[in-house]
Amino acid sequence: MTCVADMLRWIARTLMIVMMVAVGSTVLVRFAPGYLSDAREMDSRYGNTTRVELAAEAARSASLAQMLSAEFGGWTRGNFGISRQYDVPVLELIAPRLAVTGGLLLRSIAFAWSLALCAALVSSAGRNPSLSWQAPSTLLLAVPTAAMATLCILSDCGGPTLVMTLVVAARDFKFLDRMLRNAWRDPHLLQARAQGLSTLRLVYAHILPSVAPRLLALATLSIVTALSALVPVEVVFSVPGLGQLAWNAAMNRDLPVLLGVTMIMAVAVTFAGMNPDRAGEWQGA
Amino acid sequence: MARGMTMRIPAIRPAAFWSLLALAAIAIGVLALPGRSYSGQDREQLLASASAQHPAGTDALGRDRMVRVSAAFLLSMGGAVMASAAATLAAAGVGTLSAFSPAALGSLAMLACDVFLALPWLFLLMMVRSTLPLTTSPAHSAAITFLILAVVGWPACARAVYRGALELRKAEWMLQARAAGLRDKQIMRHVLPNLTSLLIPQFLICIPAFIIAEANLGALGLGIGEPLPSWGSMLLELDNSPMLMHTAWVYLPIALLILILLLFEGVATKQ
Repeated sequence: MTCVADMLRWIARTLMIVMMVAVGSTVLVRFAPGYLSDAREMDSRYGNTTRVELAAEAARSASLAQMLSAEFGGWTRGNFGISRQYDVPVLELIAPRLAVTGGLLLRSIAFAWSLALCAALVSSAGRNPSLSWQAPSTLLLAVPTAAMATLCILSDCGGPTLVMTLVVAARDFKFLDRMLRNAWRDPHLLQARAQGLSTLRLVYAHILPSVAPRLLALATLSIVTALSALVPVEVVFSVPGLGQLAWNAAMNRDLPVLLGVTMIMAVAVTFAGMNPDRAGEWQGA
Repeated sequence: MARGMTMRIPAIRPAAFWSLLALAAIAIGVLALPGRSYSGQDREQLLASASAQHPAGTDALGRDRMVRVSAAFLLSMGGAVMASAAATLAAAGVGTLSAFSPAALGSLAMLACDVFLALPWLFLLMMVRSTLPLTTSPAHSAAITFLILAVVGWPACARAVYRGALELRKAEWMLQARAAGLRDKQIMRHVLPNLTSLLIPQFLICIPAFIIAEANLGALGLGIGEPLPSWGSMLLELDNSPMLMHTAWVYLPIALLILILLLFEGVATKQ
């Protein structure tokens, strides 16, 4: 019963967070100093009458209540509103790109987990953190994702999956290495080592089961890292995914699309922290 | 100061710290040279290679790359340090007050943090950045960029401070202080000094994170406006293939940026 009550409480909290993100984003956008300006007003091809029309259109959508009702109305109708730039329902723009972005995220996270776990298992078995294991991840985290993607194109090696994998693996490695290093220090493991049990057996029988519950925190960390890297990677590699759509919407001030994509990202991050006891751990990573 | 906490204040690595200071001094020296301006153009030498006049060559508009890199370094470092200080102060205030206020208020404050944390930084930054006026000046765009970074950067730090402050609240010396009849105001005076071991690393970690965020935003064309130099706008040079064929100095900003971020990482890392 307690478990069900906890789960219901968590679901209610998650839904409240998503709702607050929606309201907060809309308020943030509405009160941003340039909300009422339209990029088309700077276009010399438009005449004065059109500019007056554009200003009137902006003024009509200035009310916060109207914005919120349009936002939630779009959700209830299931189309996320109408894109300013393309004049089509936002859902029509998002739906085909979800599969592209989802595939890229899944591939990258799967590769990153394998890479980070293997590296962390080997690295954490040593007595002290080794520079040869720590240096690559530190270096990778010091390179802005956009620059890493551009360098990949310039050197003609790798693609979006490689860049995303490296970024996620570098972050995951730091988290896993610390977690595994702590696990190796458990007294029963020290004793088992002293008794001569093989490292492989210790990893299978003790280390992996003890860290398994924390892998959910790793999932949240991976998703947050991957989503942060998504926009630069998709823009630089011209991947037709959600990141590119969001960037395009930001450049053209297409706020309904930007809000729609942001909501999807917020839902993904919030639901990634499924386990309420462990969800906060990624924040310290 | 009460001795309740067992956490050590991380020792700042002197080599990384002094290297950063030396780089900052060199950058100030470069900018202080007479006749050097980050926006000054030498129309005779567009895309020039290294020379005595332009030690790191010029960009496509004939602007001295060394001067622009120096200005970008100082601007991003200054902006990131201020944004980080603001984020850490806000986090210290919110985290401490939430931990020492009634549980419902603390939960509400942490819910607000979760709302911020549910959004990946870059999307929030893009959203706010894209709604700025079309006529925003470069200086304003720089200030707004770092202000937004501070605004979106405090919740993660506040959560860490909240956890640390909750531990402090349960610490033995705190119970003893309460039992001895100290008032809340008197106790609070001892709380913040005991949280410095948490706040200093948070402050140091935020600086490179903000520099990278600004560079990524700039590389997407949503960062600091021209002609103010920024890491992001200089990374855009890497998209210009003819320039890459012409001179290898276009790689200078990315090489320096990585070096600086590694130095900041070195400063922030616990010994």
